[in-house]
Amino acid sequence: MKRLRLDRLASQLLAAPISPAARLSRPSRISRSIPQACRHSSLYNTQPCQRRHQSTAVEPAPLEEELVHEPQDDESRPKPLRSSRGLPSPHPARAASSAKLAALHARLSLSSKIPVETLARALVDPSADAHPKYNNANLAYVGSTVLHYHTSETLITRYPRLPMDILFAAMKAYAGNPALHQVARAWGVEAAAAPGGEVDPGLLQFDPMKPTVVMNKWGYVRAETIESQTFKSGKGISGRVMYGSNPFGESSAAKSLPDLDDGRNSKTMLLQNAPANAYANFVRAVIGAVHMHCGRDAAKKFVMSHFLSRTLDLSKMFEFKLPTRELARLCAREDFDPPVARLESETGRLSRTPVFVVGIYSGMDKLGEAAGPDLDSARIAAAITVLKSWYLYSPGQVSVPSDTFAEDAAPWKPAYVDIGEIIS
Amino acid sequence: MEARPVLRPLTTLLNSCSRAGQTRLASSTRRTKKALKLPPHPSFLVSGAEADHITYNPPSAAPSVYHTPFKFLPPSDPRRQAQLSSLLRGSTGLAATAAVSNPTTVPATETTEKREVPALEEKHQVPVPKYNVTREQVAEMRALRASDPMKWSVVRLAERFECSKLFVMICCKASAEHQARERERKEAIKARWGPSRSLAREDRKKRRTLLLRGEL
Repeated sequence: MKRLRLDRLASQLLAAPISPAARLSRPSRISRSIPQACRHSSLYNTQPCQRRHQSTAVEPAPLEEELVHEPQDDESRPKPLRSSRGLPSPHPARAASSAKLAALHARLSLSSKIPVETLARALVDPSADAHPKYNNANLAYVGSTVLHYHTSETLITRYPRLPMDILFAAMKAYAGNPALHQVARAWGVEAAAAPGGEVDPGLLQFDPMKPTVVMNKWGYVRAETIESQTFKSGKGISGRVMYGSNPFGESSAAKSLPDLDDGRNSKTMLLQNAPANAYANFVRAVIGAVHMHCGRDAAKKFVMSHFLSRTLDLSKMFEFKLPTRELARLCAREDFDPPVARLESETGRLSRTPVFVVGIYSGMDKLGEAAGPDLDSARIAAAITVLKSWYLYSPGQVSVPSDTFAEDAAPWKPAYVDIGEIIS
Repeated sequence: MEARPVLRPLTTLLNSCSRAGQTRLASSTRRTKKALKLPPHPSFLVSGAEADHITYNPPSAAPSVYHTPFKFLPPSDPRRQAQLSSLLRGSTGLAATAAVSNPTTVPATETTEKREVPALEEKHQVPVPKYNVTREQVAEMRALRASDPMKWSVVRLAERFECSKLFVMICCKASAEHQARERERKEAIKARWGPSRSLAREDRKKRRTLLLRGEL
């Protein structure tokens, strides 16, 4: 009997021509970086117990070992196609005959360079299939780095004065799990009731009770990060900038130490929202697939059109503590005249519902105005308006660093970025 | 026609009999109607030449925070140059209007374009720091505050040394027992509040958080 080489079928990434641009993130490199991404286990799964019940049952190695060694021998893979019920995820050969997958491919207007098998692989969460060559962990890692890179560069060049808190929150609003979950639902992706070899490959497959991969790293992580988390430092915004281990300024590594055999920490390691994580990882994997198969520019276009085009009102995200003091510090820092609140107009001072319009002036220049039911509220509201108009300054459509990746690009002109926090 | 002035006292009498105390005076009605009779806004007037046109008359609203004021534009911004020329033109126009001796000849539009900064009352002037308290006086202030915090309150110390209350509070720190006493006094006052007053205070706090979040 001729053996089916499932390895060949599944490793589209290795078979597909990789553009020179995408060579930076070869699969081998990706899989080595995966152990950085933390893994969550549930209370019910304290040891690796994924088993393929087949005639030639293979004892799958734990995730770390496979990632390090990358088994190349064909003996380690199950061979038969006869009973796909035993496989943890659908066989890649079934992807071509899935109507759901073809519909999804067409709905997303993906390039024909991206095979449906890759799309099928993007739908398999590591909790459904722990084998790194059959799940979407590697693709999702590539996708998350691409997505975070474009989101951060766009936000920083478009709003160069955003405070770090707002910047982190905006990053999360564009590229965080909840937003990606919504995008995946809008793409019309549905989850299978339970993962398995027999389900349609066009359904998202994950198991909330099994360990999975959480994308919480981006790029280089300082060695001091672990130390700082041990000593409970780096809680302020500067600490979050320096030691925050994920793109949203959160240090989630402390509670995600991958100690699967220790039952004591299970509660902290429990994933909060497993479906959202699975949907988000699928979306990241699609971005990664676009990057791998179609190149850098297509991935940027994909990110711009699907994620950064979403509406986010940054002016609603602010919450101030001492707006008048912050404004005074701002004017002192920028060598403006100290801000003075002046009453522009008022109506019904002695009535039940008075309205005061207060403007804030620096010297002879008016910075902003707001209305309020009493003088103090109106002054605070005006100070908030002025601060928002400072923070939300935008130079308009300016070039981003990734524009210079093109062959015939103009030399990079440094973008204007503010010096930092006013009060921290 | 002729009978109306004659009959008016009679009708007023009848009215006052039927509805006790309610009288509608023709003079006040007419005055009110006249006062409320405003000409339409010029943007609503259709001139004969252009029959097809779009009326742009937006309601008054708070300015958008995405419109950066001129002072906040960084030097690299091209809008700065563009607005600078118009601002210079505006200031020369203002100087010209100020130079005109007779204000009635100035058209109304120009005066409304460039308004003066609203005046500040004397008590709202920003106090200029005097830096008049010496090192010895600070020590004396601390000694006084430590000796009898009830007598030498922050207000009295600020009056005596002619400085702000904030400066006194920066210099001195009351003893722990005085702070505890003050806290107890405040607690006793709060304990006397009835339900309405406590509710009003809580609502005030909620309104403050909403205001700082920009949701009020």
